[in-house]
Amino acid sequence: MILPIGPIHPGLKEPLRLKLQTQGEKVLKAEIDYGYVHRGIERIMEGKTWQKCIYLAERVCGICSYEHTQTFAETIEKISNVRAPSRAQFLRTITNELDRIQSHLLANSTYFKAMEHETLFMYLLSVREHIMDAIELLTGNRVNMGWNVVGGVRMDAKQVHLDAILEKLKDVEKDLDRYVQIFEQGHLVGLRSKDVGVMTRDEALKGRAVGPIGRASGLKHDLREQHHTYRENFEFKPIWRKEGDNFARTMNRFDEIPQSIDLVRQAINNLPDGDIRTKVEIGSGYVEWRNEAPRGEVVYMAETNGNLIKHISIRTPSIMNIDSCAKYMLKDVATVADAVATYATADPCIACAERVAIIDVDKGETSKDIFDLK
Amino acid sequence: MLNTFKDIVRKSSIHVCLVNCGGCNGCDIEIVALLSPRYDLEQYGIYVHNNPREADVILITGAVTEQWIKKIKRIYSKAPEPKVVACVGNCPLSGDVFNQEGGNVHAPVSDFICVDAEISGCPPRPSEILEAILTVAPGAIASRGREANGKNKKNQVTGGK
Repeated sequence: MILPIGPIHPGLKEPLRLKLQTQGEKVLKAEIDYGYVHRGIERIMEGKTWQKCIYLAERVCGICSYEHTQTFAETIEKISNVRAPSRAQFLRTITNELDRIQSHLLANSTYFKAMEHETLFMYLLSVREHIMDAIELLTGNRVNMGWNVVGGVRMDAKQVHLDAILEKLKDVEKDLDRYVQIFEQGHLVGLRSKDVGVMTRDEALKGRAVGPIGRASGLKHDLREQHHTYRENFEFKPIWRKEGDNFARTMNRFDEIPQSIDLVRQAINNLPDGDIRTKVEIGSGYVEWRNEAPRGEVVYMAETNGNLIKHISIRTPSIMNIDSCAKYMLKDVATVADAVATYATADPCIACAERVAIIDVDKGETSKDIFDLK
Repeated sequence: MLNTFKDIVRKSSIHVCLVNCGGCNGCDIEIVALLSPRYDLEQYGIYVHNNPREADVILITGAVTEQWIKKIKRIYSKAPEPKVVACVGNCPLSGDVFNQEGGNVHAPVSDFICVDAEISGCPPRPSEILEAILTVAPGAIASRGREANGKNKKNQVTGGK
């Protein structure tokens, strides 16, 4: 029997259709339908200046909105052969890590909601509000921050704000230790997540899984290692696990939160003085730039022509993670409830994942050039 | 007597269905943040259920994409009768940044269904969303329920089907 879930369903926050092929209560395999939130962002961006595009890049995804602006800004900086001043780079790191913490907390709390453990769901959301306060203190907004510009950041941070953020991080750390223990050692929650939705390392490679989902399956790959700011200024080691089940994915995200807190502390303590923005003369050319978003690798491929953006292509981590979730995790899951929980651990973000590709079924060809531009 | 009793019940138990018809999900996570202990949506008797067949309030986020043009009407017709529609964020009001040349959106939502409350902002703060639901929903649901009761008793029954 085929059990459809979505697009509007109590278990899902975003529109997506999940078709589960079931035999009794057992889920044999799953199929996913996209296409509910395609807005055509890449097409709107063409032929506009970066001042107009950076707002659009921010609205690719609401949860990891910060990383998109940073990647877009760094792409244009790379084309123009400039680098943001070091103070701006440190401020970007602070905001990036704060954004990662709130995203991981939200992802884990969604998982606990999906497996019907409301207590941890509420605990994690209340911790998340501290981080949202810190983000608001620094940038002025909670979700879409408008904080990055090409060549630096928009506003400078004052010492008062940075001290307040350090205070808030102390609160978060104190609470979070207890909540992680509840999950890790609790028989009801921890044991229910072990050996459910297992994805091995080979399957993760085949499904192109990235971010915490890939790292939980043994792919030791974190793009922050290669990023120039992290490589030159911070001590950083990627966190990874071998098991590849729901427990490993959730714990991997939990383990990355103290690491991000540590990175914020390092950045605030070593914050250099100086400018926060340089003047940039936009060059022409083609550049591919990768960054580590909370969900994994995000790639911007941009081609500029003087001041205008000629062509841009955005690849977000969600599409690979959701694909590998449907193909490898949702295979021989014991119950439908476990299948929904497994889907939630893949941290799906549908708004990121909507790209158009036209597939010619007879020839088996895929074309992305739907407007016949080239 | 019966009407006053129904008013009290309707005002104190509001079921919310969240429909994302093509946005960046920034508004959706602000609605999830409403569930957190700081804002505590459930102390006002509001329950986010995501089920249109039980909904009293439909929260709409996102500019309407191609796929949602028909579905948004279907979801609206499936909600039982005393119902209130609230738009969250700029997208359902104007299309926001997506409503430009090359975009694939059909904003505003009010072209397709009746809208009672509009909350602007990209995204609005959780406290604003909560304020809007509390200002519009209990009164409107109760008065609409009374109207439907007085005019035609069948309305309430047929609305749910």
